[in-house]
Amino acid sequence: MKNVVIAGYARSAFHPARKGDLTKVRPDDMAAQVVRAVVERTGIDTADVEDLIVGCAFPEGEQGLNVARLIGFLADLGLNVGGVTVNRFCGSSMQAVHQAAGAIQMNAGEAFLCAGVESMTRVPIMGFNPLPNPGLYRAMPQAYISMGETAENVALKYQISRADQEAFAVESHRKAAAAQGEGRFAEEIVPVAGVKDDGCIRADTTADSLAGLKPAFDEKGTVTAGTSSPLTDGAAAVLVCSEDYAKAHGLPILARLRSIAVSGCSPDVMGLGPIQATQKALKRAGLTAGDLDVIELNEAFAAQALACIRDLGLDQDKINLDGGAIALGHPLGATGARITGKAAALLKREGKQFALATQCIGGGQGIATILEAV
Amino acid sequence: MTSKTETPIQKVAVIGAGVMGAGIAAHVANAGIPVVLLDIVPEGSRNRNVIAETAVQKMLKADPAPFMHKRNARLIQTGNIEDNLDLLADCDWIVEAVIERLDIKQALYRKLEEVRKPGSVVSSNTSTIPLEMLTGGLPDSFRRDFLITHFFNPPRYMRLLELVTSPQTRPDAAQAITEFCDHKLGKSVVVCKDRPGFIANRLGILWLLAGVTEARRLGLTVEEADAIIGRPFGIPKTGVFALIDLVGLDLMPHVLGSMVKALPETDAFHQIDRDLSLVEKMIAEGYTGRKGKGGFYRVNKAGGGKVKEAIDLQTGAYRPTQKPQLESLEAAKAGGAAGLLGHADKGGQYARAVMARTLAYAAALVPEAADEVAAVDEAMRLGYNWKQGPFELIDKIGTDRFVQVLKAEGIAVPALLETAAGRPFYRIEGAVREQLGSDGAYHPVRRAEGVVMLEDIKRTAKPLVKTASASLWDIGDGVACLEFTSKMNSLDPELLKGIEKSIPVVQRGFKALVIYNEGSNFSVGANLGLALFAANIAAWSQIEELVEKGQQAYQALKYAPFPVVAAPSGMALGGGCEIVLHADAVQAHAETYIGLVEPGVGLIPGWGGCKEMLARWQANPKAPKGPMPAVGKAFEIISVATVAKSAAEAQDHLFLRPTDGITMNRYRLLADAKARALALAEGYQPPEKPTFRLPGETGLVALEMAVQGFRKLGRATPHDEVVAGKLAWVLTGGPDADVTVEMSEDEVLSLERDAFNTLVRHPATLARVEHMLETGRPLRN
Repeated sequence: MKNVVIAGYARSAFHPARKGDLTKVRPDDMAAQVVRAVVERTGIDTADVEDLIVGCAFPEGEQGLNVARLIGFLADLGLNVGGVTVNRFCGSSMQAVHQAAGAIQMNAGEAFLCAGVESMTRVPIMGFNPLPNPGLYRAMPQAYISMGETAENVALKYQISRADQEAFAVESHRKAAAAQGEGRFAEEIVPVAGVKDDGCIRADTTADSLAGLKPAFDEKGTVTAGTSSPLTDGAAAVLVCSEDYAKAHGLPILARLRSIAVSGCSPDVMGLGPIQATQKALKRAGLTAGDLDVIELNEAFAAQALACIRDLGLDQDKINLDGGAIALGHPLGATGARITGKAAALLKREGKQFALATQCIGGGQGIATILEAV
Repeated sequence: MTSKTETPIQKVAVIGAGVMGAGIAAHVANAGIPVVLLDIVPEGSRNRNVIAETAVQKMLKADPAPFMHKRNARLIQTGNIEDNLDLLADCDWIVEAVIERLDIKQALYRKLEEVRKPGSVVSSNTSTIPLEMLTGGLPDSFRRDFLITHFFNPPRYMRLLELVTSPQTRPDAAQAITEFCDHKLGKSVVVCKDRPGFIANRLGILWLLAGVTEARRLGLTVEEADAIIGRPFGIPKTGVFALIDLVGLDLMPHVLGSMVKALPETDAFHQIDRDLSLVEKMIAEGYTGRKGKGGFYRVNKAGGGKVKEAIDLQTGAYRPTQKPQLESLEAAKAGGAAGLLGHADKGGQYARAVMARTLAYAAALVPEAADEVAAVDEAMRLGYNWKQGPFELIDKIGTDRFVQVLKAEGIAVPALLETAAGRPFYRIEGAVREQLGSDGAYHPVRRAEGVVMLEDIKRTAKPLVKTASASLWDIGDGVACLEFTSKMNSLDPELLKGIEKSIPVVQRGFKALVIYNEGSNFSVGANLGLALFAANIAAWSQIEELVEKGQQAYQALKYAPFPVVAAPSGMALGGGCEIVLHADAVQAHAETYIGLVEPGVGLIPGWGGCKEMLARWQANPKAPKGPMPAVGKAFEIISVATVAKSAAEAQDHLFLRPTDGITMNRYRLLADAKARALALAEGYQPPEKPTFRLPGETGLVALEMAVQGFRKLGRATPHDEVVAGKLAWVLTGGPDADVTVEMSEDEVLSLERDAFNTLVRHPATLARVEHMLETGRPLRN
């Protein structure tokens, strides 16, 4: 079977929805500029690109009408490149990478552009017309459970204190602020509408400043806005190719895909999704958690991230080296491409062997990708 | 915004970004006029505009809000007087509101002379410095363009503006400013002479001073004093002491000092006891009023408690507040101000000492500080929120009787009272209200050009329709006016009957109908007392009938063959909001506080409010498509009983349409509403009935999920969940709704009735109603 590699990664700056610098930018434009940058930076010949796969959690409004095809037009990819929008909520653009990998191994193409986008300003979470199935809601209300509530459930189940969550959030901001300060994001961020720096990071976050916040979802709970990822506008993209193609065309290979997995769990503790997904991916890779050198674990909520870390026995020092979603932001559909691309780029930058990118998914799922150095 | 006059004032500048200056700038912005706000550069400051910028930021968070809409802040351009005087070059009016120091003001005026455009007007917001002194030594070109515009704090809410000109002031400059302040800023412009303190503060400060010193002399507690010099005289219940706490104790010695200095020795200010040693001691200790640690009243939080305390005027020590108990207060309940003034106890003595002095001083101000008694009355009504001005109070007491009181108190009888010789200061002559002049003759009290007041019309006209709660009036030019007359203009069966009876009368003889009244509030909503009474005796059929009758009356107004214009002012809540929603057009006073507050008492809007909000939001071209956005918006607004805090804000919620008019001056509301009604009358066609496509159960579930979230957060109570559930049920179209089904207004109205009639039987709803009636606050059960 063909090996699959990540041969390019870029993203827009991430900014808070409704008040950041990207509120006026249409998501299709934002994604197109990021995709275009991946093409230009890697030098891939778009004549060889099979498909543009775009993850999006709420594909309606400006993100509707098979936005992938429209992004392809906007990015001037050439009419030969297909376009498909995929939705696995927060796992959407990691799913895009997985679909590309499957297609390559199926011999159904050599190169794929895998992107993700979400303007949580311009298309609200839940969409414009939330219309749940009444029968399902009555029979299984957790099918529609709010994400904040799942974080409270996980915190309770794993006995994760508010102080621990806050310490985790402070650390995320510290790492992200350091990375920003040292210019470590410069390489990955594509300026969109003149915006070239992240807008969610708060370098002055302290345990004290977080301790003063009110619970965001349950008055008796422990989860606050400070220990949750913010609503975010952003886009990310990676180039996924067969290893042979990448080498033959001299593309800048970042890492090879070793294994992938998705898994389902109970929706009311959706934040635990990465546990089983990671276990499955590790098993398929023939590795254990101890073998991992670099980990990108999406921080939907500090409570959920800590639960996964504890359950999987992960080494905190290897996780989210440049900060996670609590500090950087979490534009739902874009996050999968970001953490997969970031894990690949970090493997190369740090000169390490194995990396994991994993995230939880609303509705009760997990998704994981294991990468290795080439 | 409707405007009758094209103002020559297109851009304004305010110099001085203190509380007054910033507040004036905000209010100019409220009128939609761009305004430059400048202040000094503080020493060592890196941001040279920091004072003006901070002032705007602070105002955006202040409550009560200086801005009628947050977006108005964008009309203010901030800067400083060192770098940005060039910004004044295209300003038509420059308001100076800097510190009360003559040298600083004059230095600024000289700078203004270099930059301002020819013909621009400069005014000072001084409250203490005479105009003559302000312009002393300044060139004629400046004097011609200069006057005093004295605003009251807070400038958005206080309707009084005192205007002082000099003989050199260009009449057209004074007129331009008067018209701008009247039409655009909504002020009642009272012309004052160039005398210290002008009218309101000159009289007001003497009144407060007498209130403080006489209470101490006669041995009254502050609670007793405020009870006497409050409600019995139609004065706000803050009386003397609580009012001083509100405005700040430190202001008193300052203004008093300048007044005493500026006034001749024969003036009452020199004859009155001015011992403010207690006040000075309090100020020194930080008791500057509500803005400080407290004042004559304070809240003692020692030991984690919260005890309301008052100061002992003799000892200066604080003690818990006591309910005043005086025989004279009982006498006031029966006999009003006169009963109080005639009583022998210390309350009566106090009332005589304070009010006799104050009212006598008012009489001494005509013609010394004002040409007309009506100007003094207007100044005290609007500047100090007195229900009646001093001369109206004297008329109530009787001029003869009042002179006797003065004599008994040993107070000199002012010339104007001698002139009156027992005659009242006001009389009605035909349809005209006349006032006594210092020449001993009566002269008409004139309204500003273009003002139409129902009060004036009612003086001679007979109502065309009259029920216990509503009257219909002919206001001329083929327009009728429906007036609410119930207590607090609450809605009851008699009011609905008034609507029902008025419609055929208007149809027969008029082109259009205006719904308007001159109460402090347009309507506070349905009469809850009646509803609770009916519920207590289980007269459910009566309640059901009332709901249905209300719907019928409002629908009849909406589809009447003539245009209906609602002209709300003050509160328009619940059913009062719903009647506004059913009008063809609205001409609202800028200070209209409107909302569907039914959920606060455990109910939902049952007189078409749900239906109208759905219709408005689904017709909103800016909303996303699909069955939920309109439903979601209406739910969001009604479920939490949103009340817009201005007419401009009401447009955000679609309580008012973008096309509805806003009148800044309360006095001009009826004239504007009438003009609007006449404009609509030509070729009028009743509106087409809207139809609805509602999501049904799926939408209901979506809203239930949202309510669950609020419950978890502790923001919704158990009964909130019940009420919100019923509201959601109505807004999503009930059990038979589906996006494929078109629903009529009548179907939605029927859902409203069902939901209302279910909720009104709920014990938790009745508990809310009862609590609201008893305390005036919502019960969070």
